[in-house]
Amino acid sequence: MEKIEHTTISTNGINMHVASIGSGPVILFLHGFPDLWYSWRHQLLSFADLGYRAIAPDLRGYGDSDSPPSPESYTILHIVGDLVGLLNSLGVDRVFLVGHDWGAIVAWWLCMIRPDRVKALVNTSVVFNPRNPSVKPVDAFRALFGDDYYICRFQEPGEIEEDFAQMDTKKLINRFFTSRNPSPPCIPKTLGFRGLPDPPALPAWLTEQDVSFYADKFNQKGFTGGLNYYRALNLSWELTAPWAGQQIKVPVKFIVGDLDITYNIPGTKEYIHEGGLKKHVPFLQEVVVMEGVGHFLQQEKPEEVTDHIYGFFKKF
Amino acid sequence: MPPNKKKGEMEGIDHRMVKVNGITMHIAEKGPKEGPLVLLLHGFPDLWYTWRHQIIGLSSLGYRAVAPDLRGYGDTQSPESFSEYTCLNMVGDLVALLDSVAGDRETVFLVGHDWGAIIGWFLCLFRPEKIKGFICLSVPYKPRNPKVKPVEGFKAVFGDDYYICRFQEPGKIEEEIACADPRRVLRNIFTGRKLGPTILPKDNPFGANPNPNSENIELPKWFSEEDLDFYTSKFDKTGFTGGLNYYRAMDLNWELTAPWTGAKIQVPVKFITGDFDMVYTTPGIKEYIHGGGFAADVPNLQEVVVIEDAGHFVNQEKPQEVTAHINDFFKKLQDKDNNKSF
Repeated sequence: MEKIEHTTISTNGINMHVASIGSGPVILFLHGFPDLWYSWRHQLLSFADLGYRAIAPDLRGYGDSDSPPSPESYTILHIVGDLVGLLNSLGVDRVFLVGHDWGAIVAWWLCMIRPDRVKALVNTSVVFNPRNPSVKPVDAFRALFGDDYYICRFQEPGEIEEDFAQMDTKKLINRFFTSRNPSPPCIPKTLGFRGLPDPPALPAWLTEQDVSFYADKFNQKGFTGGLNYYRALNLSWELTAPWAGQQIKVPVKFIVGDLDITYNIPGTKEYIHEGGLKKHVPFLQEVVVMEGVGHFLQQEKPEEVTDHIYGFFKKF
Repeated sequence: MPPNKKKGEMEGIDHRMVKVNGITMHIAEKGPKEGPLVLLLHGFPDLWYTWRHQIIGLSSLGYRAVAPDLRGYGDTQSPESFSEYTCLNMVGDLVALLDSVAGDRETVFLVGHDWGAIIGWFLCLFRPEKIKGFICLSVPYKPRNPKVKPVEGFKAVFGDDYYICRFQEPGKIEEEIACADPRRVLRNIFTGRKLGPTILPKDNPFGANPNPNSENIELPKWFSEEDLDFYTSKFDKTGFTGGLNYYRAMDLNWELTAPWTGAKIQVPVKFITGDFDMVYTTPGIKEYIHGGGFAADVPNLQEVVVIEDAGHFVNQEKPQEVTAHINDFFKKLQDKDNNKSF
């Protein structure tokens, strides 16, 4: 871990903290919510050994990167703009890309709007959801899952932050990271995250040290930066009208754990396995479902995930 | 063109409303249903009407010409907030429009003038696979400078009274246009030959004599009283705010197009300008166009045409020449395509 370099790069009007190691073809790793570059700690070390240059930023709003105050500064165009700026400043023309959770959404969109900058993508957990021209995303979630659906609960600036603040951050991190309940997370206002039962003991793949690392960073920074991605969902939808009907034209491998909440959203399994995803991602080459694995697959089964990623990128 | 002939041909142009991207858009169209589709994009302060000669000319050559009133103009809806006038909104409208009118065609031909050229550049950046070829009138590509916002950049180079800077404050220039009389201002904009950069002094911005370079006060042959009436009536109805919102959204647009920093235009392009165009005669532009910069940013720039004795509205001033240039370019691209399939 000491061999991992930490630098700050100026990109797209923000300062971005980047963890990197190794030399060779560049792989860009994008974390999700509520996560950090640290999610990829195992992959960073492994890929350096495998002859790659592995790069994992703290995305805008997280960790040691800047957090502009307004949700309107967190559209998908802002985040992709940060990453294109990062690639430009590193002198990287085309990159290998790996995404997880919100990082997967960002990765889909980087491939959509700048396919010329991506050699191949291994995306995890979150499938590409084509833009519905008649319904904004938050409105769609509300209609499908109700007002207590976590994405709806995240909308009002300050509200969920207050709920989080009443919890021990370590417990909150534990709850987010180790949940194995596959049903859509709905948290009634009266209960809040603070009202949820205490999470069980830490699994083997997430140590006290890990949880402390996360808790420290989020205590320092707060959760607003990360929550702003959800608050910019509808605005991003408005601004991505130009890509209505467009496909993702980059070679893709998709990996998800069968206990992941996202895999268990009604309709998703059919979408993945019966051709829906392939229709929108015509160069989808492989789909892997990892048995008995939850949302944070790259931390739960690091060697397996590294092998899957390496096996794919090797081909290019 | 004799008035009766012109009226008859104008009556051959179909008009309808199309629902696109959350707004209702008015389009003018003419030409065989299965002909290659040409999408014509007007600028500021303009309308579908700017393309009246090209619509008639191109349709008689077998193209299906489609010219919308863009968002904020004419008979198309004008959303309230300037933040809904970014190129992402515009291109969203046009992609939805193409979905509606292009039928089975996978690609279309594109023509853009003034702001329509700028939107054209973005359409080529965002959805290049939809565009077979782009004819750009007047406004060359301007790659995004990641360090300088556009309005600040213009202010630094041309000063506070540069027209783009003067257009920023909501309501202000609308007031000044109203004082100077919209009909007079429109006439000045369309027929003026003042060279760039376009400066609007705060005191008497449109001037007692708006055309210091013109010798007489008669309208030129290519722009009739009827034409001026048409524009005046449309802008009297809608006002200028819709069109001005494009300028007011420039900085926001810059923020949102960070992903295309350093991106080149890959679509085949032909560039046409009049030698008296205030854009062409703005310092720095000629050097960019002819000195290699333009070709470096647009590697598939195939032709640059400077039409003599023409101002900014070259498509209205020299309609047959411009139509011929358009047909020439698109025909070449079509032929190349046909040869490929053998």
